[in-house]
Amino acid sequence: MLPIQLEADPFEPLSALAEWHQFLAAGLGIRPAAESHFVGRVRPSGANDAPLEALELEHYPGMTEACIASLAAAATGRHGANAVLVRHRIGLVLPGDAIVLVAVTADHRGPAQRCCQELLESLKHEAPFWKREWSLGVGRWITGNTPL
Amino acid sequence: MAVSADPASQVQVRLFAGLREAMGWSEQLVELAPAAGGSNPAGTTPEQLWRQLNLQPAYPPAGVRVAVNQQFAAWDSSLFAGDELAFLPPISGG
Repeated sequence: MLPIQLEADPFEPLSALAEWHQFLAAGLGIRPAAESHFVGRVRPSGANDAPLEALELEHYPGMTEACIASLAAAATGRHGANAVLVRHRIGLVLPGDAIVLVAVTADHRGPAQRCCQELLESLKHEAPFWKREWSLGVGRWITGNTPL
Repeated sequence: MAVSADPASQVQVRLFAGLREAMGWSEQLVELAPAAGGSNPAGTTPEQLWRQLNLQPAYPPAGVRVAVNQQFAAWDSSLFAGDELAFLPPISGG
């Protein structure tokens, strides 16, 4: 199981977490004492409040994956976390579908929560993804991120 | 724009997302200025290629970042033959 994966098709975050737990226990012998998870989903409306038909996610093949891996390694080391899972959609994503899942295990809640938040924020701002909102048949590229 | 038959003297330039669509192309080979010894002592930079390719908006483009060989780089970094240069519009992941 790859700890960092871009998904071209819809994925179910809870199933991904269950697979990850199995991998951690059977593959790495990790039984986490603390975990922090974040799931981001597509909103039902766009920036102009019009109903959103879909969100399109473009990425830079190769660089995006390497960038997430580097950010994950840095955050894990900085906070003393044990393991990290990142799933991120690419392509067309429908309202309500998961865009991103970030999960972190650590020995205590503080490192798990801090690492999860830092990794999420860093990948939102540093990993080369671009969002385009499709609404009323018109696509509009999003520049920047919603406030924390 | 001159494109050499010798790929050893070229840089691959890539655009993404809104920048790609605004310019109407996604990638092209661009010849570096000739230099002695096969190197690039003149140090062609991403900034120079941004201007040379007439990319918009005019330099410096707000929020646009540069990657060389799939790693973030500075606008004034030196480019070498065979490099892959990407101009990255403002990132919005997660």
